[in-house]
Amino acid sequence: MPIVQFTPFSSLVQPAFWHALTDLKIDVLRLSDEAIPVHGSYSAGRSVKDRESGAEIALGCNLSVGGESFSKEDKAPAHSVSATGVFKNYNTIEEFKAADKTALFAQVSDEIWKSITVDRSTAQLSRFLLITFADLKKYKYYYWFAFPAFAAKPAWEIQGDWKGASDEFSDTFLSAIESAQLASPRAFFLVRPKAGSDEPELAPVEEYDTFFANVNPVERTIAFLDPSAAPGNPGWPLRNLLTYLAALHPATSHRVLCWRDAERPAGAPFKSRFGVVSQGAGTGEAASTEKPAAVGWEKNVQGKLGPRVADLAPMMDPTRLADQAV
Amino acid sequence: MHAIQQQYWAVRDYLSPVLKESKFKEHGRITPEEFVAAGDFLAYKFPVWSWEKGDASKARDYLPADKQYLVTRGVPCLRRATALAYTDADEDAERLLSFGDLSATGNEADEWVETHAGRAASTLDSAANAGNIDEIPDVDESSADDVADQVGRMHIQGGVGSLGEIPDMDEIPDMEEEGLEAGDDEATAAPKAAAPSSGVIEASEVEVAKGNLLQVRTYDVMITYDKYYQTPRIWLIGYDENRTPLMPAQIFQDVSADHAFKTVTIEAFPHSTSLQAASVHPCKHASVMKKVIERMNQGVLEEQRKAFGAGAVSPSTGKDKQKKWLFRRTSGPGKDAPALPAGEDDVEGMRVDFYLVVFLKFIASIVPTIEVDSTTAF
Repeated sequence: MPIVQFTPFSSLVQPAFWHALTDLKIDVLRLSDEAIPVHGSYSAGRSVKDRESGAEIALGCNLSVGGESFSKEDKAPAHSVSATGVFKNYNTIEEFKAADKTALFAQVSDEIWKSITVDRSTAQLSRFLLITFADLKKYKYYYWFAFPAFAAKPAWEIQGDWKGASDEFSDTFLSAIESAQLASPRAFFLVRPKAGSDEPELAPVEEYDTFFANVNPVERTIAFLDPSAAPGNPGWPLRNLLTYLAALHPATSHRVLCWRDAERPAGAPFKSRFGVVSQGAGTGEAASTEKPAAVGWEKNVQGKLGPRVADLAPMMDPTRLADQAV
Repeated sequence: MHAIQQQYWAVRDYLSPVLKESKFKEHGRITPEEFVAAGDFLAYKFPVWSWEKGDASKARDYLPADKQYLVTRGVPCLRRATALAYTDADEDAERLLSFGDLSATGNEADEWVETHAGRAASTLDSAANAGNIDEIPDVDESSADDVADQVGRMHIQGGVGSLGEIPDMDEIPDMEEEGLEAGDDEATAAPKAAAPSSGVIEASEVEVAKGNLLQVRTYDVMITYDKYYQTPRIWLIGYDENRTPLMPAQIFQDVSADHAFKTVTIEAFPHSTSLQAASVHPCKHASVMKKVIERMNQGVLEEQRKAFGAGAVSPSTGKDKQKKWLFRRTSGPGKDAPALPAGEDDVEGMRVDFYLVVFLKFIASIVPTIEVDSTTAF
């Protein structure tokens, strides 16, 4: 059986985030390089149809941070779910380079692991790390995201292939999930059919034991808001969700619904995907006690492990702006 | 100079009175209340749009605190407008689009003309070509000859070297950390994976034959209310395929040549203390909107009278078919039953709710490759 390959998160930093960071750095942080909380958001994966070639083009699997990412109230934009993270800004490029990234990464993945095993919560599954160096005079921002995800050993495998959700569920069933997700999007949720009807019932993943108590395993479905739009690759959040399930609710296989229908026009087909995943042979030993290894540093534009740079001089530098003004 | 000008605009904006009277049919301008109504309708009909509060210190008191401006994020832009020089020959390529989500009006007549159908982008569109802007003409020289002249003089230079604005990625050497993650993670989807069988292509790997390379940019699009011009105003923040913010010169690649040199500029976004964004200057919006609305209103008045006369909506033929969907449902589904004309009072023409839907179609002509017009994109 093929191994499940997950689409990694890509960071999308809105310029407003850098403006917020500039203000924060000057007015609040000053020379402090303490880690502070930050939050971002992601929404269902989207694909767009190219009108010329007719091909469906999947847009990125983005986790975005914006101007409100440092604010206390953690409210995701419409149709998105929020993810919290750790933010650390360095005062010099040397410190930024010399930062002990392995330790920072381990710390965040520890926090995720603790939230799974101790708190039994899904709220921190998409926790991320962001380190920056802001060259305020030149309007340049060096940054590096990490989205820790636990690597399952042995890897998760997909039975058959990922298929359209409509192949598994009826349209009325999916429409009911859609309206629930539109009303209040959830990052992770459980689905079971209501006894004797074609209506779904949803519940938070934390209620796994009670919600699935008397449900036939072939009717238990685990769903998550999928930021990926690639048909054969579920998004990054599923990785830690599967780790969560393996640690707390081990089962031979899980039915997974990758929820991708946030902006479906009436009558259009559903884009969500469905698949049954199981862990390869050799499961069981030391499954839930040891913290598995984690991966997830974001690659830079060249496709290597390295920081990215946002050069906002053309959009922030007053002299450059004056040059192109009418 | 630019800073002074912006200060002047800010003062002028502050001093100009809030439009009270509804006059959108007479001169294409709308009141803040109508802006909110049209925005509500847009956000209801096309949920990709949502209201934003913006920076509290910049809130406009004539708009509700939680409805300061409209935003939609991640609007795809597959090709550069510089590759879409529209010629007479292309007119044959126009085709009628139907609106899947609006076809509840009961027939297949819900159509809109799509231009540029089936065209391949010209080879002008290459990765390194940023339209290099020589000279920005004065705003008042707006005659058609001048436009042609400008387009004639506009030269598109090749080579990254001519840009000088692309951030130098090599400035952070020795930052590559090989030892950070041990080996390749087998469960990470490789970004360059082979194109999957079901036909969905990942944005990063799109490569169409004949060197027609797609660079999928995305835009955050905002619509604010401009108090001085009493029209909506559109703002764009762009990202390239690596999600790096776009430079002004790169944004101008996505603006049709008629507008890039005069009506689209980088300005301070009014609902933020520091943010700059590309904006379509609204000085001509009212007159253009007036013309569009007049033309549409004509159609819809006829339509409504006819419907009133016939007592029922009969399938009509010809040109007004295309426009009907806009006016048939004067309120969104779910609010009321479709408002069939029941008396002379209902012969009112186009409702102001549709203002922003029409406005987006007009904006789509300025930025042809950015799919702001979600009425066709979805």
